[in-house]
Amino acid sequence: MAEIKKIGCVIVSHGQVANELLSAAENVVGDLGHITAVSIGWHDEVESAKEQISRAISQVSEGRGVLLLTDMFGGTPTNISAMFYEQGEVEIVTGVNLPMVIKVANQNTEIPLTQMADEVENQGKEAIYQAGDLLIPKKMIKDA
Amino acid sequence: MLESNVKIVNQLGLHARAAAQLVKLSSKFLSSVKIQRADSNIVADAKSILSILTLAASRGTTINITISGTDEEQALEEIEKLINAGFGEL
Repeated sequence: MAEIKKIGCVIVSHGQVANELLSAAENVVGDLGHITAVSIGWHDEVESAKEQISRAISQVSEGRGVLLLTDMFGGTPTNISAMFYEQGEVEIVTGVNLPMVIKVANQNTEIPLTQMADEVENQGKEAIYQAGDLLIPKKMIKDA
Repeated sequence: MLESNVKIVNQLGLHARAAAQLVKLSSKFLSSVKIQRADSNIVADAKSILSILTLAASRGTTINITISGTDEEQALEEIEKLINAGFGEL
């Protein structure tokens, strides 16, 4: 299989959530050179946070666009990330969870950034279950 | 097309890191690799971690592997070996 150029990704969060999400994903799938994390400290100035995100974007960019995954819509990490929005170049998806990071980690084909953003958004939503909903039917079968 | 039933034997079941190993191995082959729980009709693509995780296959679950393509024989042999070895966790 020919080497493909990957879409870069920056996880941006409050506190250390971004670093830990990246570290969890790396434990599952191995080193992820095209993904990095920016943790915005509780007392960081907007300018310094902006600078960190800007540096992170340049670091992971392979020329195919960069996806910013932020922790919560309306929060500071998202609001600062939004300053970098540029359609098709830098897209932002909020509410990051581990399945979303794993989705970006595994890129087997070169798809456009906007499509990747859509797929990651859907993946994040679809990966949420109430485990009980899955466990109860099976338990009932067992008891029957 | 080849089919086979194997039992998940490692304590943690088909969890994230085990799924990642299965994806890494399956992706080496040109054949399509599908896995399904013997007790349900949910089918997963063995080349996608997140798809495999939706099976929630714990220890003792029997899964049905269906492989189709030019290198199906070797793919089945290696995949069976990985699962039977408990993903190296035994």
